[in-house]
Amino acid sequence: MASLEAIHTEANAGQGHGSFRTVLRQLRKNRLGTLGVVLVLFIAVSAIFAPLIITHDPTRIMVGPRLADPSLNFLLGTDQLGRDTFSRVIMGGRIPLLVAFVSLGSSLAVGLVLGLLAGFGPRWLDNLLLLIFDTIRSFPGIIFALAVIALLGPSLTSVILVIAITSMPIYARVVRTQTEALRSSEYIAAERSMGAGTNRILAVHVLPNVIGPLLILVSMDVPAVIAVEAGLSFLGMGVRPPTPDWGAILNDGYSYIHESVWLVIAGGIPITLATLGFTFLGEALRDIFDPKLRKDL
Amino acid sequence: MLLYLIKRVVLAIAIVVVAVTLLFLMIRALPGDPAAVLLGPRATPEMKAQLHEQMGLDKPFVVQLAAFFGGLLNGDLGFDVFSRRPVADIVFEQLPYTIELILVSILWAVSVAVPLGCYSAMRRNSVIDQVVGVVAVATMAIPSFVVAVYALLIFAVMLGWLPAIGAGNGLWDRLIHLILPSLAIGISWVGYVSRLVRASMLEILGETHIRMARSFGISEWRIVARYALPLAILPTVTILGVGIAWLLSSAVFIEVVFARPGIGALIVNAVNTRNYPIVMGTVLVTTFLIVAATTISDLINGALDPRTREKL
Amino acid sequence: MNDVVGSVSRRAFLKTGATLGGGIMAAGMPLSQAIWAAEGKVLTARANQDVDKLDPAFYLGAVNSEVMSCIYSKLIRYKPGSEWSWELEAAEKIEQVDPTHIRFQLKKGIKFSNDYGELTVRDVKFSFERVIRLDSPSNFDWGPLDHVEVEDDYTGVIVFKTPFAPAWTLALPYGAGHIVSEDAVMKAAKDGGPFGMTPTAFSGPYVFADWKPNQHVLLTRNPEWSGPKPGFDEIRILPIGDIKTAERAYQAGDIDFTHISVDSLANFKSNSPADTTIEEKPSIGIVYVGMNIDHPKLKDINVRKAIQWAINVPQILDAAYAGQMEVATGSLARGLIGYRDKALVPPEGDLAKAKESLEKAGVSDFTVTVDCLNQSEFLTIAQVLQAQLSQIGVTAEINAQDSGSFYTIGMESEGDRWKDMQLIVQSFSNVPEPYYFSATYTRDQIGKWNWERFSSERFDELNAKAITIDDPNERAKLYREMQDLMEDSGAYRYLTNGASPFMYRTTRMQPATRPDGVPHYVAFKPV
Repeated sequence: MASLEAIHTEANAGQGHGSFRTVLRQLRKNRLGTLGVVLVLFIAVSAIFAPLIITHDPTRIMVGPRLADPSLNFLLGTDQLGRDTFSRVIMGGRIPLLVAFVSLGSSLAVGLVLGLLAGFGPRWLDNLLLLIFDTIRSFPGIIFALAVIALLGPSLTSVILVIAITSMPIYARVVRTQTEALRSSEYIAAERSMGAGTNRILAVHVLPNVIGPLLILVSMDVPAVIAVEAGLSFLGMGVRPPTPDWGAILNDGYSYIHESVWLVIAGGIPITLATLGFTFLGEALRDIFDPKLRKDL
Repeated sequence: MLLYLIKRVVLAIAIVVVAVTLLFLMIRALPGDPAAVLLGPRATPEMKAQLHEQMGLDKPFVVQLAAFFGGLLNGDLGFDVFSRRPVADIVFEQLPYTIELILVSILWAVSVAVPLGCYSAMRRNSVIDQVVGVVAVATMAIPSFVVAVYALLIFAVMLGWLPAIGAGNGLWDRLIHLILPSLAIGISWVGYVSRLVRASMLEILGETHIRMARSFGISEWRIVARYALPLAILPTVTILGVGIAWLLSSAVFIEVVFARPGIGALIVNAVNTRNYPIVMGTVLVTTFLIVAATTISDLINGALDPRTREKL
Repeated sequence: MNDVVGSVSRRAFLKTGATLGGGIMAAGMPLSQAIWAAEGKVLTARANQDVDKLDPAFYLGAVNSEVMSCIYSKLIRYKPGSEWSWELEAAEKIEQVDPTHIRFQLKKGIKFSNDYGELTVRDVKFSFERVIRLDSPSNFDWGPLDHVEVEDDYTGVIVFKTPFAPAWTLALPYGAGHIVSEDAVMKAAKDGGPFGMTPTAFSGPYVFADWKPNQHVLLTRNPEWSGPKPGFDEIRILPIGDIKTAERAYQAGDIDFTHISVDSLANFKSNSPADTTIEEKPSIGIVYVGMNIDHPKLKDINVRKAIQWAINVPQILDAAYAGQMEVATGSLARGLIGYRDKALVPPEGDLAKAKESLEKAGVSDFTVTVDCLNQSEFLTIAQVLQAQLSQIGVTAEINAQDSGSFYTIGMESEGDRWKDMQLIVQSFSNVPEPYYFSATYTRDQIGKWNWERFSSERFDELNAKAITIDDPNERAKLYREMQDLMEDSGAYRYLTNGASPFMYRTTRMQPATRPDGVPHYVAFKPV
């Protein structure tokens, strides 16, 4: 845990580098980063324009024979209900992106507020919040998620909630560490003596300093979120049928693995590409914004 | 160090207390009768009444919480109405299967990753190092259940080489049954650990005494094996502890895909049956495992690196 | 490039939480010990659900009954083979003295395990009367049983209040006909009440040696068994709910006997696993969509009729069984007394009629829940149902659950879920006795097995009358009318009676099943 903070503190030092164009140039130099950008763009575009791309209604059953092999009409074949797998895969890309956006967005917002509270607030509040952060991080990942789902019932909302709760502590800790470092700096003391209020200090000095590293952290969490969402849907604890979703398609493929390999391929490849794409992109972004971290670990 | 040890253990206990309280609150925060929630959908009125009394639901909240903690201290995780057995018995019956799976996965991963990491460090920026690097990131990014389903498809269904389900009977059979599941869990660890070993190895190889050894003409492999590796592997060992939550999460999927017994299969099944006592028991036990692992890892870290101690 | 790679996901890694030591924690723990004995003839078979009650008075479902038939004796049993008939088990002889009396003579020397002594008529009396004495969902198995007269240790007379034709086809040879030890049960449970999963004395060729919920049931030879020795030393039953998983398990060699799904039948036939025989048996079970008549959303018969008409049965069967299954005409399968030639609502349904009916009810755009088993076959049915209902503006939410949870949904004794139940994809096994089906839909079964809460005075009359009639043709008429009444209530849409293909390894066994493919493990022969 301690080493983690060290990383984050170092990460902050690399803030403020590079305009948009520099970033782009650096990304281009970084081959894996480029691959990441291409994959992410590919997935994002296909999700956004999904309704224009699909060839059939993704929830309509029996548009073709069941478990058919790929053909011109059914580009990735059909599933056990005779639905067009290609259309389901394309529409299915919307769910993970939506979940990542909503859950990480709200997690970021809450983490930011709690982190500022911990860093700027009284000592006891700081300790209490830290304890809660540590506790949440001690909950056992998917097992905890399953417990929450057991209580709330399986749904996309439950998935989003669990992800938001469990990713929050890291963001909050980063904000807290940064805030605390700034608070004790002479620079802020000087500002204070000149009559600047807490709000102004937070808004002008603290926020701009933490938001960059936070966004990098978020971008690096995206693949994990995609994996968790797909995983829970794979277990039947995420999206409800008939909503198309990669994890659910993979589960269908798993059930009918003897009859057809296409469903497994159609469900697994997009998950793989998405997690790879976001991982490469996240790693690359971190390296660009974080020269200090450009060591070997 | 002693002070650090005490502080760290106190923190661990505090975390467990808060965690248990949060879980307790989670059940209580739901609308409706907590006894009904805990007992699940198949509870009869008598069962509910019985639990009402056990939990002391008419007593103040603090008393209930205290009773809950009291039960936990006695190893009482509640009672499973369905099988009429204590939850603790059921959870600890399944836990060894999961531990076995996790251990085997991590063992094979480390034994492949360490030589790989050493090699990468010695031939830094060579083609092999770069390829290993890319593959490492890739394997870490792909979710274990996707690997598992693909492994199942290829090796069990298409080729028919390895068993598809179950844990097997007898030592040899059990090992055979572990191959695919441990492959799916371990593969991302190969990437991760090899990168870790490579990094700490590079750091150590750059240090003065190693350079000195080199100047004496001691062969590179000998330097790595005799001097650098023992140092490089220590941080790796402590980091492995960090991963227990990750390992447990992977195990959930892998146990489902390969229909293996274990704690993951247990909780998925319990969620399906809405068997809340089992769900809560599993979460409690695994949370405890994780806190214990975190604490031990931090203590080892603290012993190795005094700087860490100050951070607490 | 190397740098990106090098710095990798320490972060992604740490994010998952916590810190060291799974390995260390585990080192001191015993690894799962070898459970099975390595020697002897072992039969490994799949059951579609776990056992949950080995109490003959409270048994639920076919699997409990299959296991009970290994560990308890009963007077007579279904004869394995392709024709429905019975054969003697614990009885030396048994005869219908008059319509309300059955006299039997027990074989001598059948012992209960654990020193509970010899099985006598006293135990038979206790076992049968216990079923009707206790308020059990299964007590209709014994219908109008009055009492059992003890003539001597080995001779007794079963006395019914009114004639009871199903005695020979249901009560005696099936679940509630198993004989438990009076002394053992009185000791194990208060007033001889339910003892659930802890039987203390066995009277069959096997004993219930070990049970790990959701993992295995282990039956071993009963050392005190004096009757004909069964072929296998051990029977291991693995509860594998999903039939597709069972197929994988068979191919992986984990089980040697399993039923297979109809949609993989063709695949297995053309590409059969080594040393495997596949047999196809006609199933007599029933899969249907049921509706809870008492639920506010379904109270109006027009809503229920709309749903009936919206369901296109062949389409469902196409998806769930690759079209390999015949459409059911009612609860009773072809070949059983009371089989109907066709259902009232045509299999394909009619969307126009469905919409019309909804208009009559004055509702539109509402949401219903569909409960189903968490198995590919039923999930498929539920999803097609969902798609079909959406065509009349009804949104369906699928609620899949495992068998333990599913088969108690409608039971008032098992919680409050019966109130929330709306639509259900129901699947029941059956025995060759129409009363077994009809008795579950009477008014006093509401909240026990009658989950649709179907209530008809006429139905109950017919049900009572039908068991007193001997002539099969006369009986058949009544059962046909009963199915008409059920369908007319709008609460039922029959899908299929199923099919029951199974496969087994010829190098291991020669199986023995009822005509409908239900295994009779005691009669399996090792190879």
